[in-house]
Amino acid sequence: MRNKYRKNIAGWLVMLPSIILFTFFLWEPLIASVIMSFYSAKGIRLEKFVGFQNYSEVIQHPDFKAAFSNTFAYTFWSIVIGFLVPIILAIIINEIIHFKGFFRLSIYLPNVIPGLAVAIMWLYIYKAGKTGLLNIILGNLGIAPQAWLTKSHLVIPLIVLFMTWRSAGATTLIYLAGLQGIDPELYEAASIDGAGLWARLRYITLPQIYNLARTLLILQIIFVFQVLYEPLVLTNGGPNNASTTLMLLVYKYAFEKFDYPKATSISVMIALILMMLTTLYNKIIKENEM
Amino acid sequence: MKKSFLKKDYGIIRSFDLKNKTVKFLYFILLSGALLAVFIAIFPIIWTILSGFKDLKEFVNEPKIFPKSYHIGKFIETWKILNFGKFYINSFIVILGSIFFAVISNGLLGYTLSKIRPKGYKLINFLLLWSLMIPTTTSIVPLFINIVKIGLQGSFIPLWLSAGANAFFAILYKNFFDSIPQSIIEAARIDGCTEWSIFFKIVFPLSFPINTVITIFTITNAWSDFLLPYLLLNNTGKETVMVRLFQFRNSVATDVDIIRAVTFSIIPPIILFAFFQRYMMEGITKGGIKG
Repeated sequence: MRNKYRKNIAGWLVMLPSIILFTFFLWEPLIASVIMSFYSAKGIRLEKFVGFQNYSEVIQHPDFKAAFSNTFAYTFWSIVIGFLVPIILAIIINEIIHFKGFFRLSIYLPNVIPGLAVAIMWLYIYKAGKTGLLNIILGNLGIAPQAWLTKSHLVIPLIVLFMTWRSAGATTLIYLAGLQGIDPELYEAASIDGAGLWARLRYITLPQIYNLARTLLILQIIFVFQVLYEPLVLTNGGPNNASTTLMLLVYKYAFEKFDYPKATSISVMIALILMMLTTLYNKIIKENEM
Repeated sequence: MKKSFLKKDYGIIRSFDLKNKTVKFLYFILLSGALLAVFIAIFPIIWTILSGFKDLKEFVNEPKIFPKSYHIGKFIETWKILNFGKFYINSFIVILGSIFFAVISNGLLGYTLSKIRPKGYKLINFLLLWSLMIPTTTSIVPLFINIVKIGLQGSFIPLWLSAGANAFFAILYKNFFDSIPQSIIEAARIDGCTEWSIFFKIVFPLSFPINTVITIFTITNAWSDFLLPYLLLNNTGKETVMVRLFQFRNSVATDVDIIRAVTFSIIPPIILFAFFQRYMMEGITKGGIKG
């Protein structure tokens, strides 16, 4: 009995420093966000309780509507562009015998480059005028230079395109691991039964990675909800709010207008949405395990 | 037909399929598709590095992919103008401290949750799993305020300490320690070792693989992170490489200097990748499914 008591004390003492760090860096700020979002403040000092006033002011602001609907546009485009690319790449690489290691390595390479550096790189790739990389390439095909990032209907797909460029390699590796886990005998049996290549893909490969794809889709949506530095660096949310995001709004309220309560009220809304998505994600994971 | 070409006993296409002409053709289409993907993945990086060899006039006026000349002197000049050595040193300082705290703090937490399991450990476990899902950027504002309140703005310390509070790392450690037999720990306890010395003298030496993975992740994170470093270190002389890149948003600099600075910022991670690719790529598939 005494032993047990000592074990508990020792255990908590050993992890106490870490718990303090986690509290300071993760858990307390999360709670502080919620509290602050219900107060008015001067700088970093809370003044008085205002209920949902921050929330309603933020929501009624036109920026919020733009950011909110853009988030769906980002999600849509990231599904169109970013969801299928890794699946296709993984299937292709899995089918190839030659230079497999080289393919995996080079496709993963963009992933090791810091996100901010990637954003600046693509700023120059999309640069208006004839010397941006995209315009150079299109110029060789006889297409006049475009000011890509000023086109409000194109700006989100363009941003999603380079986000995909950066992250597709890592996702491809996850799918590859999934594909390699498929029992080779399934294919063997199918081909003996006379199933063609298309049938094998349709009735073996795709069903086998379906669960993985579902999981990764949710993770991707969670990821897209946090888009911040890509539009911050490339367009600063423009043209005319066409690429602004919820996280970018948080950034602007907090570190440009120094209106911390409004910033935290948006953070809280994002966190709530993410919690719902996470619950969904955990449910799917549990279903997959069953 | 070479023998190696024929041997394929996994995936959709099998060796016997490849005898068929159409399938062989299809295989080459797939191969070219993969080559195209490699080109798309690598070309922007190469273009960025090549563009650094152009001078400003060339970069702004001439729609060419390749530079006219390859003088490394242009890079050295930019390095000197921007005083980039200072930012490298600052980044290294951040990285070193971050590794220390990432390994010790998350390691101790993982050890406690895996091997000591004091009363209430499940609550911590639960909190960690949730923290994994809620990104730190959503609580950046109160965190920033916390740091300002205790007066650590303009210091490396909060960046070091924040590496010690990484739910993902703590869980990776816990999973690793779960694979160490409890009997070793019990034996040490009977010999009168304290938990502290068990961790440092017995568990830690066994943890080389996981420590390597955590160290590599920490280096990449610390090198790439810019939001918190920017908020804390901007205009203090302690800017890291990423903070310097972010400052280009508001400062006057020529396009070629910026693009050379980007090259400076991507070379260390690429070198790291060249040495530790196996660890980095395995990390993604094993534990890396993360928001």
